[in-house]
Amino acid sequence: MMSDGQQFKQDLLGAIPSLRAFGVSLTQNSDKADDLVQETLVKAWDKQASFQPGTNLKAWLFTILRNEFYSQMRKRGREVQDSDGAMTARLAIHPSQHGSLDLEDFRTALETLPEDQREAIILIGASGFSYEEAAEICDCAVGTIKSRVSRARTRLQEILKVSGEADYGPDAISSHVMGSGAGV
Amino acid sequence: MSENNKSVRQPGARENGHLDPLGTNSEIGRKLKQFYDGIVSDTVPDRFADLLSKLEAADSARKKD
Repeated sequence: MMSDGQQFKQDLLGAIPSLRAFGVSLTQNSDKADDLVQETLVKAWDKQASFQPGTNLKAWLFTILRNEFYSQMRKRGREVQDSDGAMTARLAIHPSQHGSLDLEDFRTALETLPEDQREAIILIGASGFSYEEAAEICDCAVGTIKSRVSRARTRLQEILKVSGEADYGPDAISSHVMGSGAGV
Repeated sequence: MSENNKSVRQPGARENGHLDPLGTNSEIGRKLKQFYDGIVSDTVPDRFADLLSKLEAADSARKKD
Protein backbone atom coordinates (compact mmCIF):
# COMPACT_ATOMS: atom_id res chain seq x y z
CA MET A 1 0.00 0.00 0.00
CA MET A 2 1.44 3.33 -1.04
CA SER A 3 1.23 6.32 1.22
CA ASP A 4 -0.63 9.40 0.00
CA GLY A 5 2.69 11.08 -0.66
CA GLN A 6 3.96 8.16 -2.73
CA GLN A 7 0.72 8.01 -4.68
CA PHE A 8 0.83 11.75 -5.31
CA LYS A 9 4.40 11.44 -6.53
CA GLN A 10 3.41 8.64 -8.92
CA ASP A 11 0.52 10.70 -10.23
CA LEU A 12 2.78 13.71 -10.77
CA LEU A 13 5.29 11.54 -12.63
CA GLY A 14 2.50 10.26 -14.85
CA ALA A 15 1.39 13.77 -15.73
CA ILE A 16 4.83 15.03 -16.77
CA PRO A 17 4.62 14.11 -20.49
CA SER A 18 1.35 16.06 -20.89
CA LEU A 19 2.67 18.96 -18.86
CA ARG A 20 5.72 19.17 -21.11
CA ALA A 21 3.55 19.16 -24.21
CA PHE A 22 1.36 21.94 -22.82
CA GLY A 23 4.49 23.83 -21.73
CA VAL A 24 6.01 23.63 -25.21
CA SER A 25 2.71 24.77 -26.69
CA LEU A 26 2.76 27.86 -24.47
CA THR A 27 6.46 28.74 -24.57
CA GLN A 28 7.34 27.38 -28.01
CA ASN A 29 10.67 26.38 -26.54
CA SER A 30 11.47 23.03 -24.94
CA ASP A 31 14.04 24.37 -22.43
CA LYS A 32 11.64 27.00 -21.17
CA ALA A 33 8.89 24.40 -21.11
CA ASP A 34 10.98 22.11 -18.92
CA ASP A 35 11.73 24.96 -16.51
CA LEU A 36 8.02 25.63 -16.36
CA VAL A 37 7.28 21.96 -15.67
CA GLN A 38 9.90 21.94 -12.90
CA GLU A 39 8.34 25.01 -11.30
CA THR A 40 4.91 23.41 -11.64
CA LEU A 41 6.04 20.24 -9.87
CA VAL A 42 7.54 22.19 -6.96
CA LYS A 43 4.38 24.29 -6.61
CA ALA A 44 2.14 21.24 -6.87
CA TRP A 45 4.17 19.47 -4.21
CA ASP A 46 3.86 22.45 -1.86
CA LYS A 47 0.13 22.75 -2.53
CA GLN A 48 -0.45 19.02 -2.23
CA ALA A 49 -2.77 19.51 0.74
CA SER A 50 -5.03 21.76 -1.32
CA PHE A 51 -5.56 19.12 -4.01
CA GLN A 52 -8.79 17.21 -3.52
CA PRO A 53 -8.16 13.52 -4.24
CA GLY A 54 -10.61 12.20 -6.80
CA THR A 55 -10.78 15.48 -8.69
CA ASN A 56 -8.97 16.03 -11.97
CA LEU A 57 -5.25 16.14 -11.14
CA LYS A 58 -4.27 16.82 -14.74
CA ALA A 59 -6.52 19.89 -14.93
CA TRP A 60 -5.21 21.07 -11.55
CA LEU A 61 -1.59 20.75 -12.75
CA PHE A 62 -2.33 22.44 -16.08
CA THR A 63 -3.84 25.35 -14.15
CA ILE A 64 -0.69 25.69 -12.04
CA LEU A 65 1.55 25.52 -15.10
CA ARG A 66 -0.50 28.07 -16.98
CA ASN A 67 -0.57 30.48 -14.02
CA GLU A 68 3.18 30.11 -13.66
CA PHE A 69 3.66 30.84 -17.36
CA TYR A 70 1.63 34.03 -17.27
CA SER A 71 3.15 35.22 -14.01
CA GLN A 72 6.66 34.76 -15.47
CA MET A 73 5.61 36.67 -18.56
CA ARG A 74 4.34 39.53 -16.43
CA LYS A 75 7.52 39.57 -14.37
CA ARG A 76 9.84 39.64 -17.33
CA GLY A 77 7.71 41.85 -19.44
CA ARG A 78 6.92 40.47 -22.81
CA GLU A 79 10.07 39.01 -24.24
CA VAL A 80 11.10 39.92 -27.70
CA GLN A 81 9.81 37.15 -29.91
CA ASP A 82 12.64 34.95 -31.05
CA SER A 83 13.76 36.28 -34.38
CA ASP A 84 13.65 32.94 -36.15
CA GLY A 85 10.05 32.46 -35.22
CA ALA A 86 9.09 35.97 -36.22
CA MET A 87 10.86 35.55 -39.52
CA THR A 88 9.26 32.26 -40.43
CA ALA A 89 5.89 33.57 -39.42
CA ARG A 90 6.14 36.19 -42.13
CA LEU A 91 6.81 33.61 -44.79
CA ALA A 92 3.85 32.22 -46.59
CA ILE A 93 3.28 28.56 -45.93
CA HIS A 94 2.31 26.36 -48.79
CA PRO A 95 1.01 22.84 -48.48
CA SER A 96 3.68 20.34 -49.44
CA GLN A 97 3.63 18.63 -52.83
CA HIS A 98 1.92 15.51 -51.61
CA GLY A 99 -0.99 17.51 -50.35
CA SER A 100 -0.70 16.75 -46.66
CA LEU A 101 0.57 19.31 -44.22
CA ASP A 102 4.11 19.15 -43.05
CA LEU A 103 4.38 19.04 -39.26
CA GLU A 104 6.99 21.82 -39.22
CA ASP A 105 4.66 24.06 -41.22
CA PHE A 106 1.94 23.29 -38.75
CA ARG A 107 4.15 24.14 -35.79
CA THR A 108 5.11 27.44 -37.42
CA ALA A 109 1.47 28.27 -38.07
CA LEU A 110 0.58 27.40 -34.49
CA GLU A 111 3.24 29.83 -33.26
CA THR A 112 1.59 32.70 -35.09
CA LEU A 113 -1.60 32.35 -33.04
CA PRO A 114 -2.17 34.69 -30.11
CA GLU A 115 -1.52 32.90 -26.80
CA ASP A 116 -5.16 32.76 -25.74
CA GLN A 117 -6.19 31.09 -28.98
CA ARG A 118 -3.22 28.75 -29.01
CA GLU A 119 -3.80 27.48 -25.50
CA ALA A 120 -7.52 27.04 -26.17
CA ILE A 121 -7.07 24.97 -29.32
CA ILE A 122 -4.36 22.86 -27.63
CA LEU A 123 -6.45 22.15 -24.53
CA ILE A 124 -9.50 21.18 -26.58
CA GLY A 125 -7.94 19.66 -29.67
CA ALA A 126 -4.92 17.89 -28.20
CA SER A 127 -4.94 17.62 -24.40
CA GLY A 128 -8.39 16.09 -24.38
CA PHE A 129 -10.08 18.52 -22.01
CA SER A 130 -13.75 19.38 -22.28
CA TYR A 131 -14.76 22.98 -22.95
CA GLU A 132 -15.80 23.23 -19.30
CA GLU A 133 -12.43 21.98 -18.05
CA ALA A 134 -10.54 24.27 -20.43
CA ALA A 135 -12.62 27.22 -19.24
CA GLU A 136 -11.70 26.41 -15.67
CA ILE A 137 -8.00 26.05 -16.49
CA CYS A 138 -8.01 29.39 -18.33
CA ASP A 139 -10.27 31.05 -15.78
CA CYS A 140 -12.77 32.26 -18.36
CA ALA A 141 -16.25 31.48 -19.65
CA VAL A 142 -17.01 28.36 -21.68
CA GLY A 143 -18.25 30.56 -24.53
CA THR A 144 -14.92 32.37 -24.57
CA ILE A 145 -13.06 29.07 -25.00
CA LYS A 146 -15.41 28.06 -27.81
CA SER A 147 -14.89 31.31 -29.61
CA ARG A 148 -11.09 31.16 -29.19
CA VAL A 149 -10.98 27.61 -30.53
CA SER A 150 -13.08 28.60 -33.49
CA ARG A 151 -10.94 31.62 -34.30
CA ALA A 152 -7.75 29.60 -33.87
CA ARG A 153 -8.99 26.95 -36.23
CA THR A 154 -10.14 29.43 -38.85
CA ARG A 155 -6.80 31.18 -38.67
CA LEU A 156 -4.82 27.94 -38.98
CA GLN A 157 -6.90 26.99 -41.98
CA GLU A 158 -6.19 30.34 -43.59
CA ILE A 159 -2.46 30.21 -42.93
CA LEU A 160 -2.13 26.62 -44.02
CA LYS A 161 -4.62 26.90 -46.84
CA VAL A 162 -6.07 23.60 -45.81
CA SER A 163 -8.28 22.06 -48.41
CA GLY A 164 -10.44 19.00 -48.21
CA GLU A 165 -12.27 20.13 -45.08
CA ALA A 166 -15.40 21.00 -46.99
CA ASP A 167 -17.57 18.74 -44.86
CA TYR A 168 -16.49 20.73 -41.88
CA GLY A 169 -16.05 24.05 -43.62
CA PRO A 170 -15.74 27.33 -41.76
CA ASP A 171 -19.44 28.13 -42.08
CA ALA A 172 -20.62 24.88 -40.60
CA ILE A 173 -18.11 25.11 -37.81
CA SER A 174 -18.65 28.70 -36.86
CA SER A 175 -22.39 28.29 -36.86
CA HIS A 176 -22.03 25.23 -34.70
CA VAL A 177 -19.55 26.75 -32.29
CA MET A 178 -21.04 30.22 -32.27
CA GLY A 179 -24.55 28.85 -32.10
CA SER A 180 -23.95 27.73 -28.56
CA GLY A 181 -23.75 31.20 -27.16
CA ALA A 182 -20.13 32.09 -27.81
CA GLY A 183 -19.30 35.69 -28.49
CA VAL A 184 -17.21 36.45 -31.53
CA MET B 1 1.21 6.68 -24.43
CA SER B 2 0.20 5.39 -27.82
CA GLU B 3 -0.68 7.72 -30.63
CA ASN B 4 -3.27 5.24 -31.74
CA ASN B 5 -5.04 4.77 -28.48
CA LYS B 6 -8.62 4.67 -29.70
CA SER B 7 -10.06 3.98 -26.31
CA VAL B 8 -9.60 7.56 -25.17
CA ARG B 9 -12.24 10.11 -25.93
CA GLN B 10 -11.39 11.96 -29.09
CA PRO B 11 -10.74 15.56 -28.15
CA GLY B 12 -13.61 17.78 -29.13
CA ALA B 13 -15.82 14.79 -29.91
CA ARG B 14 -19.50 15.52 -30.22
CA GLU B 15 -22.38 13.20 -29.48
CA ASN B 16 -23.39 13.12 -33.15
CA GLY B 17 -19.79 13.01 -34.34
CA HIS B 18 -20.57 15.08 -37.42
CA LEU B 19 -19.92 18.61 -36.33
CA ASP B 20 -16.67 17.95 -34.59
CA PRO B 21 -14.43 20.86 -35.50
CA LEU B 22 -11.17 19.22 -34.41
CA GLY B 23 -11.80 15.51 -34.74
CA THR B 24 -10.03 12.89 -36.78
CA ASN B 25 -11.73 14.04 -39.97
CA SER B 26 -10.13 17.42 -39.69
CA GLU B 27 -6.62 17.99 -41.05
CA ILE B 28 -6.07 20.69 -38.43
CA GLY B 29 -7.30 18.34 -35.70
CA ARG B 30 -4.99 15.56 -36.87
CA LYS B 31 -1.93 17.82 -37.07
CA LEU B 32 -2.69 19.24 -33.66
CA LYS B 33 -2.69 15.74 -32.17
CA GLN B 34 0.43 14.77 -34.10
CA PHE B 35 2.29 17.85 -32.85
CA TYR B 36 1.19 17.33 -29.25
CA ASP B 37 1.54 13.56 -29.10
CA GLY B 38 5.05 13.88 -30.52
CA ILE B 39 6.05 15.84 -27.43
CA VAL B 40 4.08 13.62 -25.06
CA SER B 41 5.95 10.57 -26.32
CA ASP B 42 9.37 12.21 -25.94
CA THR B 43 11.65 10.70 -23.32
CA VAL B 44 11.15 12.54 -20.04
CA PRO B 45 14.44 13.92 -18.68
CA ASP B 46 15.60 12.35 -15.40
CA ARG B 47 15.66 15.73 -13.70
CA PHE B 48 11.94 15.51 -12.94
CA ALA B 49 12.05 12.15 -11.19
CA ASP B 50 15.14 13.36 -9.29
CA LEU B 51 13.33 16.52 -8.27
CA LEU B 52 10.30 14.63 -6.96
CA SER B 53 12.54 12.23 -5.03
CA LYS B 54 14.27 15.19 -3.40
CA LEU B 55 10.95 16.79 -2.49
CA GLU B 56 9.78 13.49 -1.05
CA ALA B 57 13.01 13.02 0.91
CA ALA B 58 12.80 16.56 2.29
CA ASP B 59 9.25 15.87 3.46
CA SER B 60 10.11 12.65 5.27
CA ALA B 61 13.18 14.26 6.88
CA ARG B 62 10.93 17.01 8.19
CA LYS B 63 8.46 14.49 9.59
CA LYS B 64 11.20 12.73 11.53
CA ASP B 65 12.24 15.94 13.28
